Amino acid sequence: MKYKISVDTGGTFTDVVIAKEEGSLVVGKALTTPDNVFSGFSEALENAASSFNASMQDVLLETSVLIYGTTRSTNAIVTSSAAKTALLVTDGFPDTLTYRHGGKRDPLNLKMEFPQPYIPRRLTEEIIERINSEGGVETPLDKDQASKIIKSLSSKDIEAIAVSFLWSIMNPSHELQMAELIEKILPGIPYTLSHQINPIIREFPRTSSTAIDASLKPLMQKHFIELESELRAAGYEGEILVSTSSGGIKHVSDVIEKPIFTVKSGPAMAPLAGIAYAEAENLGNDVIIVDTGGTTFDVSLIRSGEIKYTRDTWLNGEWIGHNLGLSSVDIRSVGAGGGSIAWIDSGGLLRVGPDSAGADPGPACYGKGGTKPTVTDASVVLGYIDPDHFLGGRMSLDTQAAKSVINDAATQLNMGLEETAAGILEIAGEQMIKAIQEITIQDGVNPAESILVAGGGAAGLNILPIANSLGCSKILLPKTAGALSACGGHYSDIVSEYSASRYSATDNFDFQGVAEIFDELNSKLDAEQTSLKKRGVSKFTKEFFVEARYLNQQWEMEFKLPLSEIKNSQDVESVIEEFHNVHFRRYAVKEEGGIIECINWKGRLIAEMDKPPHVRGDEDRESDSAPDREVSAFFSSHGKCKTPVYLGSKLPIGTEISGPAIIEEPTTTVVIYPDTSAHVTTSGHYLLTS
Amino acid sequence: MLSPVQISIMSNRMDSVCREMTNTMLLTARSSVLGVARDFSVSIVTSDDEVLAAAEGFPIHVWGSNLQTASMRKNHPEFKEGDAYLHNDPYDGNSHAADHTVLVPVFYEGEHFFTTAVKAHQADTGNSLPTTYMAQAADVYHEGSLIFPAVKVQEDYKDNEDIIRMCKRRIRIPDQWYGDYLAAIGAARIGERSLKKFVEKYGKETVRSFIKEWLDYSERRCIDAIKKLPKGRLEANQSHDPIEPWVPEGIPVNVKIDIDPDEATVTVDLRDNIDCIDAGLNLTEATSTMAAAHGVLACLGNDLPTNSGIMRRINIQLRTNCVVGIPKFPHSCSVATTNLTDIIVNVTQSSFAELGEGEGYAHGNYCNSAAAGVASGNDWRRGGEAYINQMFLMGGGGPASSETDGMHYLFIPVTAGLMYRDSVEVDEQRFPILVRKMGLMEDSCGHGRRRGGQGTEVIMGPRKDPIHILHVCNGLESAPIGVRGGTGSRLGQNIRIDKEGKEHPYPAVMVCDLEEGELLRARDQGGGGYGPPAEREPERVLRDVENYVVSEETARSVYGVAIKGSRLDDNLAIDLEETEKLRSKMSV
Repeated sequence: MKYKISVDTGGTFTDVVIAKEEGSLVVGKALTTPDNVFSGFSEALENAASSFNASMQDVLLETSVLIYGTTRSTNAIVTSSAAKTALLVTDGFPDTLTYRHGGKRDPLNLKMEFPQPYIPRRLTEEIIERINSEGGVETPLDKDQASKIIKSLSSKDIEAIAVSFLWSIMNPSHELQMAELIEKILPGIPYTLSHQINPIIREFPRTSSTAIDASLKPLMQKHFIELESELRAAGYEGEILVSTSSGGIKHVSDVIEKPIFTVKSGPAMAPLAGIAYAEAENLGNDVIIVDTGGTTFDVSLIRSGEIKYTRDTWLNGEWIGHNLGLSSVDIRSVGAGGGSIAWIDSGGLLRVGPDSAGADPGPACYGKGGTKPTVTDASVVLGYIDPDHFLGGRMSLDTQAAKSVINDAATQLNMGLEETAAGILEIAGEQMIKAIQEITIQDGVNPAESILVAGGGAAGLNILPIANSLGCSKILLPKTAGALSACGGHYSDIVSEYSASRYSATDNFDFQGVAEIFDELNSKLDAEQTSLKKRGVSKFTKEFFVEARYLNQQWEMEFKLPLSEIKNSQDVESVIEEFHNVHFRRYAVKEEGGIIECINWKGRLIAEMDKPPHVRGDEDRESDSAPDREVSAFFSSHGKCKTPVYLGSKLPIGTEISGPAIIEEPTTTVVIYPDTSAHVTTSGHYLLTS
Repeated sequence: MLSPVQISIMSNRMDSVCREMTNTMLLTARSSVLGVARDFSVSIVTSDDEVLAAAEGFPIHVWGSNLQTASMRKNHPEFKEGDAYLHNDPYDGNSHAADHTVLVPVFYEGEHFFTTAVKAHQADTGNSLPTTYMAQAADVYHEGSLIFPAVKVQEDYKDNEDIIRMCKRRIRIPDQWYGDYLAAIGAARIGERSLKKFVEKYGKETVRSFIKEWLDYSERRCIDAIKKLPKGRLEANQSHDPIEPWVPEGIPVNVKIDIDPDEATVTVDLRDNIDCIDAGLNLTEATSTMAAAHGVLACLGNDLPTNSGIMRRINIQLRTNCVVGIPKFPHSCSVATTNLTDIIVNVTQSSFAELGEGEGYAHGNYCNSAAAGVASGNDWRRGGEAYINQMFLMGGGGPASSETDGMHYLFIPVTAGLMYRDSVEVDEQRFPILVRKMGLMEDSCGHGRRRGGQGTEVIMGPRKDPIHILHVCNGLESAPIGVRGGTGSRLGQNIRIDKEGKEHPYPAVMVCDLEEGELLRARDQGGGGYGPPAEREPERVLRDVENYVVSEETARSVYGVAIKGSRLDDNLAIDLEETEKLRSKMSV
């Protein structure tokens, strides 16, 4: 087989990346078609295939693995358009999704609209039952009452059911009995049980995961079945794998069972490309990955080769929106991108965002009626974006419009036109710096000792000054920066995770209880491994994690266990030592001799997939290290400079370019600031030095 | 002069430092008071005692740190790099004795530039009773808390072990205290590290200019906000529930506000109030000031920088030996952060509503119910080990504004929705209790064009071992009011249900001992409404009926909205004809 295909269906664009046999990656783009996913996907695929004179059909017939990423589930949550779902909870606790964890931003703002809970109170029913914190039954499940309630759901046109009882993680019998009742009374209706989808302590995140998962089942099952049948109709006979929020991939049949794993899966793939590129260039394995889109800037982190995860992923607003509850790739998003609007506040300071001009009307220079200065307008004024060569010349920009809106701001600030534009870019950069600092500092990572991998169409505009502020001297800008998430698909493995909850403190370690948990996790991972082996996967790795805390500490910290079982006090000692070390690294304090409480356990199976080798792949093209043209660009440190513009596709490997300079790629633009430089690596990426 | 771009960038860096400190505190704290309820604050104070930046936190906490750094400088003129000071002195700048503040002076090339302040409410501070809110305290001696008037707790970055040992001897669950102390020191030191880098990066001169210009800018923003307000003199009052037997008549609180858009100042006068009382509810200088400022600032519109620059335009007039002023030693200020401060915040915010449509808020819940009391006892599941900690199982309806309904988890006015609540499962793992119910109560909110948030009911009881809960409550004898035609809500309640099912209400100062088989039922209040209920959009009323916020009966009688259809078929709808009739009657 010649090809491997990775697809990332974003909100605006669908990106396709074809990996050719020798390893080169070919990017194709098309507008996303929400009504029929396959048509946007096939257009992007045609677009990519045409660049090496092939058709979609040719490529599909010669492809064995297709990795599919979608924002469908994310969009369904954000726009409240998932299935009509009922939530069944323990009697006395109908408002868990309304209370959430509590908390909000800004104490002085009481004029906030709070989003409705993910499942409204009117579709929440209380079931008579109660388990206690040790798993004992305080109140047996009232099956008659439960049956009546399940029956009553049919007249409400309920399409899915979520069941989340208190302490089901200690004793799942009541939830399991509910499953039997549901299957008996409403056969065929999809449902999710909390102890199965996310067996962790804390009723809010667990209930939230359960509600989200159940609500996605009808929609995502239909989506994947349609996709599969269209692909088969187009002649594709290989495997279909789906990207997940944990930065791995799964077989389509597995995500149909647990569709919550597809939420926010697109951005979760970007770090995989980041680490693959950084390692291929021998740049180490502490990597910060940034992805700049039109409206948001996403940051993720890899430390010592390990992706950073979080259980605190929110949609529709931190604390007040909907919590995913699952351990997923930690992605910090800030509202800063090409469309972010600059404005001047009542105290006379220049601000950028959080409002964005979006795609419509878009920045003023798009000429679609935008009247407010944006980051893109500032980049045009500065000469960083060539109005005649935007998006490879597919769209021409209105320089006058950009100048006029930036000039309005400049007049108010009593600053020069270019100084104002540079200021807008700098302040937008501040938001990005803040996001990077937050994620790195929280994990004890020093940006100065990390490599920054920059993706997204707008990343190259200001990544060098951002890196400089962070003290980060090396930046890798992949030539496929415009499709970082889709590229990540090619470097992904099949990842399966299972969690279990068992309390055990290190001063009185429950060896037997924890051994039972490891047995349970192992048997699930082994079953998974057996089924993957049948599909031809041969390389596997198992990892175990624990969420633990110092005695009475309020929040747990997850870390990878240095061993795969805990048999004796020596094993416990090594867990304790690892906890102290990780705690010190992240929070600058540790408590020698402190007792540690282990709460949640997690096992992960990584089934390794074949990855494309790192090659440039377009050596046959003409090589030319001379600039294509020269423009005038403004830099705050140097004023207006004559700046050469290079076409990235023509630059030979090993070319060194000193700033000021601009490199244009079809999907991104790289601005090399004065006193910085770029080097074309053997894989054809740009290694920037600040 | 720095450019507007430079000022923006440098102020963003200040925010980053504050957020770093906050993250450290939040993630490393031990007691739920800190790690869950976020009852802590971090700030950066200049070398001449102006608050330069503060992380999001309770205003009541944050802006007293300037008084505390002044106290540090006064008591330790020789302070130097590597020092850290422990400050919880309510008579010299602190909020109340339970808030231990760590102050770390930050030097660059031998010059003092900033002080980082981390203030954290402790689960225990060695009071004579196992609570950090001791309403019964006749004076500071009776209260019994250890007081640290800016005591040097670290030198050369190392603990003064004497102080640590003293605390460990006198504070209940010493390891919990020490863990929280470490978290606070860690946060203050992380701030120190980043601020040094900040001065190194920008240079001393630029940093000095930045401090001046940032505070001036903040003042300009505040001026702009005040100039948009109508001119007015407002006066309002409300009483705290009786504190039997110490203050049987209750505590009246008067607030006078003078809004002068021409001069761009807001003045709040708290001097016309009674003298300090012989109970623990007296406020401190920090909390009197900040409660009033909190009320004003919430009405000025959001997005103002939180620093001393904006405080230049808000004058708070206080009197010494006043219950809501500057305390006279040795009056106890054990409960100085809640209760009377909640009244000041509520009364100030609701007074602003008199200025006109769109201004101010209704009252928010001020019944800090028993489900937020300090619980102690022994846990049979851990071999009888002792525990003490505050529970946070409240909701607390938020006030309605002209534009939005109140939130359901305000908690109380001074915490303004920032607190996390406890997970029921985590509390049941920590305390030997079983929670029977935690839910929002139908018809518990004040009504209006915008309604208040709902009140919450919690029912819980001990498992096997008895539990001891101490608390001081308000709002059992009065309820939040609505404004501009909106209605008020209803009284809070704390009730013991004995083994026979008989109900025994608790007074404001409650000592609650529950045995197995007994239950505590705690109800906080809904928030007040804003504007006439008859103006509420029927679609909003329908949504409220669907979701058990208001009953069909209330929709009819209070809102003039008739609902038809059936809950069983999930097809409730507005009966348009009937609604029109009802509403036309109401307008008559």
